[in-house]
Amino acid sequence: MSNRRPGRAAVTGIGVVAPNGLRTDAYWKSVREGLSVLDLISREGCDHLPLRVAGEVRAFDPAALIEDRFLVQTDRFSHFAMAAAALALDDAGLGGEPADPFSVGVVTAAGSGGGEFGQRELQKLWGKGSKFVGPYQSIAWFYAASTGQISIRGGLKGPCGVVASDEAGGLDSLAHASRAVGRGTDVMVVGATEAPLAPYSMVCQLGYPELSTLDDPARAYRPFTEKACGFVPAEGGALLVVEDEDRARERGAPVRAFVAGHAATFTGASRWAESREGLARAIRGALDEAGCAPEEIDVVFADALGVPEADRAEALAIADALGAHGTRVPVTAPKTGIGRAHCAAPVLDTVAAVLAMEHGQVPPTPNVFDICHDLDLVMSRARPAELRTALVLSRGLMGSNAALVVRRGDDSAR
Amino acid sequence: MITSEVTFDELASLMKQAAGITVDPQELKQSAESPFDVFGLDSLGLLGIVGELENRYGTSLPPDSERCRTPREFLNLVNSTLTAGA
Repeated sequence: MSNRRPGRAAVTGIGVVAPNGLRTDAYWKSVREGLSVLDLISREGCDHLPLRVAGEVRAFDPAALIEDRFLVQTDRFSHFAMAAAALALDDAGLGGEPADPFSVGVVTAAGSGGGEFGQRELQKLWGKGSKFVGPYQSIAWFYAASTGQISIRGGLKGPCGVVASDEAGGLDSLAHASRAVGRGTDVMVVGATEAPLAPYSMVCQLGYPELSTLDDPARAYRPFTEKACGFVPAEGGALLVVEDEDRARERGAPVRAFVAGHAATFTGASRWAESREGLARAIRGALDEAGCAPEEIDVVFADALGVPEADRAEALAIADALGAHGTRVPVTAPKTGIGRAHCAAPVLDTVAAVLAMEHGQVPPTPNVFDICHDLDLVMSRARPAELRTALVLSRGLMGSNAALVVRRGDDSAR
Repeated sequence: MITSEVTFDELASLMKQAAGITVDPQELKQSAESPFDVFGLDSLGLLGIVGELENRYGTSLPPDSERCRTPREFLNLVNSTLTAGA
């Protein structure tokens, strides 16, 4: 905590562990090229399930990145989180022990939890008996696990929290972190990672009518098209460092972007027609907080659920909130190349938005070639554009809606 | 049937297996009076070791086992329990 008046919430670090890239630069390259890494699920024990296609994080070796004492007590989703947090802190120039541990906090969002770890322990429970269940089952599956482990591993003792507010919670966590910075915390490590591709976690998702069960990776997730048939899940995610702008400038850290405005609403589980009004209200709220006119939005990162009714609601919500500008502004959904990593999906989109502004390119929407909504959806290849302000949208299957306005940072950060 | 006591070697390998902590058995023996947290072992980690020993030797250890503060204290309690049960 400091006594000075807090400045804006600046993004100074990014760490990505995604199906299409194990580092931020690799992620951006794949996103910019419109690469689709959707594929048949290869995870052991999943062959017989009707969910066939997903975005898996392959070639991720947690043992190379994280100490054994953290690995034994954590699920894959926390492995992603610890790895991404370290990348983000390094990117921000804040690697190593913090000078003041109480000045750095952590907030993550989680939706799927530690299903793989939990399944392993529950199999021991019913296969061998209660005495064979390890004690870390008490903490590893839990939504709060990643925040706790990032905090312990990094010695970060500032305000910590967990947002459990559905997929849109990924954006809510960024807002939460920005407000913590606004209240005087110097640095927040914030974001979300998910690992929902273990058998137990997959079975938990099978009840979602929005889930795509197609077995063709090129056709399984095509939002805004007439062939839209739902979404495919993904694992991985991203953590960011959000920091007081003045503090970042004092220590000479480049500001990559600003978290400028956010709002969230709730319209009920799977009530997609009603999400139109909820999402539009969230967009207006985020614009208000950012002091941003609709015409200032240079690019929209869509939620892009891939369910016809939900796609229609989103297209209409963008038009409702942005007016005529809503049909002219470039819209994109890079997540069609990697799937939806639940709470981490809008965080990865926020990262893509920051990178898009840095590089002056709107990335395309992989696998989507013709749309049936009145949107300027960017397809096939990246579109060069001067981008100052981005709008990121997210909705959850349980009814949450959120919008985040992100402003471009320093030119020197590019 | 207990054929031997739990040694510092076995405790060191349990610390690795149950809690992911690498510790040299000789060092563990020499620092047997140091609190477990010096080695990085927390209470859940010790609880996991207790559970593994109970399964391995097919007997219950006293409820206080996971509250032992040092390797020496823990091995004394474990071995006196195992010996008594043998």
